Amino acid sequence: MSDDRAVLTEVATGLFRDLCTPEDVVAAEATGWSERLWTALTESGFPLVSVPEEAGGSGGDVADACALLTVAGRSAAPVPLAETGLLAGWALAAAGLQLPEGPLSVAVGAPGDAVELSGRRFSARLSRVPWGGRSDRVVAFAASGGQRFVVSAPPAAATVTPGRNLAAEPRDTLVWDDVELPDDAVAPAPPGVDAAALRLRGALARAALIAGALARVAELTVRYTGERQQFGRPVARFQAVQAHLVTIAEEAQLAGLAVQVAALNARPDPSFLDVAAAKTAAGEAATVAARASHQAHGAIGMTKEYELGQLSRRLWSWRDEFGSERHWSRELGRQLAAEGADALWPRISTGLVEA
Amino acid sequence: MQFAPTVLAPAEEALRAEVREFLAAELPAGHRPALGFAGRHDPEFSRTLAKRGWVGMAIPPEYGGHGRSAVDRFLVAEELLAAGAPIGAHFVADRQTAPALLHFGTEEQRQRFLPGIAAGEVYFSLGMSEPDSGSDLASVRTRATRVEGGWTVTGTKVWTSEAHRNHFFAVLCRTSPVEEGRKHAGLSQLLVDLAAPGVRISPIPYLDGSHHFNEVALEDVFVPDDMVLGELGSGWQQVTSELAYERSGPDRWLSTFPVLREWLRERGADVSGEEAVVLGRLAARFRAIRQLSLSVARALDAGAAPAVEAALVKEVGTRFEQDLVEALRDAAETELDQGSGSLFSALLAEAVLTSPSYTLRGGTTEILRSVAAKGLSA
Repeated sequence: MSDDRAVLTEVATGLFRDLCTPEDVVAAEATGWSERLWTALTESGFPLVSVPEEAGGSGGDVADACALLTVAGRSAAPVPLAETGLLAGWALAAAGLQLPEGPLSVAVGAPGDAVELSGRRFSARLSRVPWGGRSDRVVAFAASGGQRFVVSAPPAAATVTPGRNLAAEPRDTLVWDDVELPDDAVAPAPPGVDAAALRLRGALARAALIAGALARVAELTVRYTGERQQFGRPVARFQAVQAHLVTIAEEAQLAGLAVQVAALNARPDPSFLDVAAAKTAAGEAATVAARASHQAHGAIGMTKEYELGQLSRRLWSWRDEFGSERHWSRELGRQLAAEGADALWPRISTGLVEA
Repeated sequence: MQFAPTVLAPAEEALRAEVREFLAAELPAGHRPALGFAGRHDPEFSRTLAKRGWVGMAIPPEYGGHGRSAVDRFLVAEELLAAGAPIGAHFVADRQTAPALLHFGTEEQRQRFLPGIAAGEVYFSLGMSEPDSGSDLASVRTRATRVEGGWTVTGTKVWTSEAHRNHFFAVLCRTSPVEEGRKHAGLSQLLVDLAAPGVRISPIPYLDGSHHFNEVALEDVFVPDDMVLGELGSGWQQVTSELAYERSGPDRWLSTFPVLREWLRERGADVSGEEAVVLGRLAARFRAIRQLSLSVARALDAGAAPAVEAALVKEVGTRFEQDLVEALRDAAETELDQGSGSLFSALLAEAVLTSPSYTLRGGTTEILRSVAAKGLSA
């Protein structure tokens, strides 16, 4: 890890430890939002890491943003950290649009989403928008008159129907019905800034959050099974329980390393192969590790106060967001099949690429 | 945990390209790939490989080797395994015996054996398991008795891979009686010539019908003092210590890769959505496991002792080798036949018959879990 990134990670770890305790996460459940945490993050410039400074961001690269997300994932942070910078901030900066002060979100490309743009007249129906109702702007892509545009749509002009994922994080449906967008809301989309590129970033961001949550799940499970006594000894002494600990450690490490490689190779943008593999690995890891950790914890894991549930409910949600394992493995498989049998090994054995 | 993202240096990329080019020329298109390090025994291939400097890479030049890094060895091994190269003759000597000789052997033993191993000409088997000793190796009963100038060894080793073709094996045996409560003491490793008088090798037919396993009966086999490997009485520490780090190489996750490649070759580019999912999942997991395995090699080069990491890689890697076989069987919807005219189908049949061994050899999944879990909780 670069020195700058190590410092960033250390500072962020302290901030989340102080301001995003398991009690804070429980307390934020009603709204899916922690104002105190968001304010502190904004003061540190963390939400806009990876957005260029000249565009109003905090600088840094995709790997820095993913390192932050991994820390946030550990703490089950109830804020749109990924959406604001790595996703919306990226598109707005690339299109030369203004970065608003507050939280931002994006159209995730949910089934049934529709966008229409004519001049500055805007109609859209976007569902599963993360923290959509609470965002200052929601970024979407639109085609109009044979050109592609980045749209920075204000939720204030939309009808918002709240929705939630399994962890009570807001996933709202927003409908704009032929509204006039403000002056600063539309700009041509540069090449490479489109829904497919956004989806790659979104999938990488979720994989990074998953990696962080898995690392914490692994720690919690080792700690709990070392303390919990049954039959006169810690349950971690039983081979059947040890098998769970090993599985969780493996899955957490597999996902963590796949995410790091994908993030470090993003210079400046993440590659399809890296992200498809990382999101597939992270999604599978989420399923397997959540199951093993709940089994190792027993009934305490089924209570809402205990930290594990805050993490597992996010794992069960994030694995499906921005494309499930099935989605990404199908895309990856199609691409690899198209390249043919003799290209398969060179593709698999491409890891971290020299800067 | 010491898993860190690992980038290859230009010289390492160049080595990989060189090996790929060699294999493309050496292994004709349509050749029947070997599955894993034990897949095929081909002394000629081993010697050819050695001439290129790709055997004995960990052995220092003064013993005929090449003094290369763990990452260099990793890169060569993964190319060979991915291509299904027949490396069974030299692989165990190279991976296991040579490092043991370097760590524990006398100067004389190194001079005697290492140049032959590095030349791809001297092959070793492992002499650990016995009829009543598998995972519980400390219970071995093979016994060495002091005689003038050495030892006489009596006992029976089983599941001894390729003993009928190899030259020597390192026998774990008892050189002093079991003491109450110290069952790991009194064990030693002796280097035994498989052609010595009193050594009787009989085949134990392998599940796929091949001759791979043997029973090796030792009856008063004389082993001179200079063939004791390491300290007398330290056999247990020797077989469980440094060698544990050798667990996590590409031979623990690539054994069945050729089945996937040949499936894709026969299937062609026009895969169904369901087949694409299978291919994508396997490829994603290959990439992830490879990163872990490579990072252990890099950590070894940096002087670390990643024993827990190595156990995790082997545990997850060998299970994956098996998962791949079942995933492809499920996708292919075919009846298995070793004599199938389809290369993929024949390989799949071979893989189904041999893959149960992957999670047994070199430490069972259950033993590895126990090793790793102790490290995780520490």
